[in-house]
Formats: sequence, C-alpha cells, structure tokens
Amino acid sequence: MRFVLLPPNGLLRVTVVAAALALCSCASPPAEPETLLAPTDEQMKLRSTQSRQFEVESRRFAIRGVIEALQDLGFIIERANEPLGLVTAARFAEPRYFDVMSVTVTVREESEGNFTIRANAIFNNEPITDAQVYQNFFATLERSMFIERN
Amino acid sequence: MQRVVVACFLLLSTGCMTKSDPGKFFQLSEESPANKAMQIRHFETDGVDELLSASAAVLQDLGFQISESVRDVGFLRAAKERSAREYGQELTQGIVLVLTTALSVLGGANAIVLMPVDLHQQVNASLVARPLDDVGHRHEVRVLFYRLVWKGSGASGDQQIPPGQQKMEMIRDPEIYQHFFARLSKAVFLEAHKI
Repeated sequence: MRFVLLPPNGLLRVTVVAAALALCSCASPPAEPETLLAPTDEQMKLRSTQSRQFEVESRRFAIRGVIEALQDLGFIIERANEPLGLVTAARFAEPRYFDVMSVTVTVREESEGNFTIRANAIFNNEPITDAQVYQNFFATLERSMFIERN
Repeated sequence: MQRVVVACFLLLSTGCMTKSDPGKFFQLSEESPANKAMQIRHFETDGVDELLSASAAVLQDLGFQISESVRDVGFLRAAKERSAREYGQELTQGIVLVLTTALSVLGGANAIVLMPVDLHQQVNASLVARPLDDVGHRHEVRVLFYRLVWKGSGASGDQQIPPGQQKMEMIRDPEIYQHFFARLSKAVFLEAHKI
C-alpha cells in the first residue's frame, strides 16, 4: 500500500484552519431579544385595520361573498377552503403586469352569526399597512354580500 | 451610433415602468361589470355537484388538467400548456432581423436585432359554481381564463438575450368564454342564462 503524505506546509495550513473552526464553536450565539415573537402595538393596530366584523347567516355565505368580491375586483382565486375559512387570491396590474397583489382572507366565527373577516394583502412581496387599501376591500365586500343577500 | 438608435428604440417601446397604486387594486373599475357579464352564466338546476362535474369534464375536453378542486365552495382550478408561437410575431421578428442586418452591413457595426417572440404558454382556468337562491334551484358558474407566456431567446447586436422572459395576460376574448359556456350547456342539457 502506498500512503500519500501532505507536505509539511500544507499540513500546517490545515491545522491552523481546523483550530480556528474549533475556536469559533466556543463563541456564544447573540442573545435573542425577548420581544422577538411578542405582539407589539403595531401588530395590534394592523390586525384591527385588516379585520372587520360581519353579521351573516353562515361561514359558507361569508366565504362565497369573499370569493365573489375578489372575482369582481379581477383577482384570480388560488385557494379556497370553506371549513377552515381560507381564501387566497392574486392579481396583476393591467395592462403591463409588472406589479402583483396577493391577498389571504380568513373567516372566523366569533359567535353565532357573527364573523370576523381578516384580509392580509401583500404588494410585490411587501405587506400593505395602509388602512385605505383595506377600507376599499371591505367596501367592495359589503356591497357584494348585500347584493348576494338580495 | 446605430447601436444607440436601436437601443433607444427598444427602451421606448417597452414604455415607462410606473408603479401601480395598491389602493386601486381593491376598487371596482369601469371594465368590472363587462368582465363580470362575460365570465358568468346562470343555470336552472338543482345539482351544483353536477354542474361542477360537468365543468370539469368540459375543461378536460378543452385539454385542461384539473389541478385543484374544492366541493364546499364549488371551486376548480385547471391548467394546460401549449405552444404560444404566433405567425404575426415571427413575421415581425423576420422583418426586423432583415432590416437591422441590412443596416449592419451598410454601417459596418453589428446592429442586428433578433426580437424574442412568444414560445410557450400555460393557459389557466379558475372556476367557481355557487347557488343563487336558498332553495338551490338556480346556480351560477363563473370562470376566469388567464395565461402565462414565456418568450424565446434573442439578440441585440453583440448582446445575447436569454430565453425565459415571462409575461402574464388575462384572457378577455368573449368568444373563448362563449365557447366554454356553449359546451357546458350541452354537457348539462340546460340553457345558460347571461346576467
């Protein structure tokens, strides 16, 4: 059998690198801030901007209203799950199609006949925090549910 | 100099890239009612399951593959991939190529332009069927067609344009929707009513 030996200077280099790596493992990780996953005031404010209460007969009625409103606005429905109360949709800006808006809408039953609908909109991978955008959506949703009821 | 002229022409033809206003996405536009009328038909039938199943069958006939279905909300998603090559685009590409080659020969510099043309497309359908009244005698089917297009490779002078440039387009041709609903009517043996 033949053994291939590293030249002395190569062996030294390897030893130095290995020692440096071993020392790195002794360094303690940076301390995580305690408030990393805690709710902040901003998040609470955003949640109330993104949510509305609706009094409708059933979750199915609410989900159908959401789907219809989104379709009227020109959104493409990507996911719809009635038992979980989830709808996901996306829309491209016409006519150039450079910008994309995607939205996730959830429907939760607070009490009988009382539902909270929350919309979470993302524009070109950035979350939307502007209240006017959500007001526009809920105005269209109310109109759509009113028409459906009649 | 010719390279600069061609580059300016290409830049101007793509148009100014102004960002859209997010607020407008959630407001109805002037085209919304017309689009809605094009995409919706009403059927006098008791069975939404039958409508949904017939819709899936029609989409299959049209070459689509159903990628998702949710019975509770009457939702279907389907897609099909086809060639997107168009005679008009390839003719334009040929004319531009000949003209720029002639310019290059006359001018001496390489100003040959090979415009990337549409090569491949994925056509998608998003369909929702729902009841219109509480007793379930009337139902509505709403379908939306849109497509993703990929362009081929090209060149501008010495610079190569790689293939794969993608664009997305909503399909607003009323004939396609009429064709779909005509087939759906036949499949369920019912008359489709417009809104």
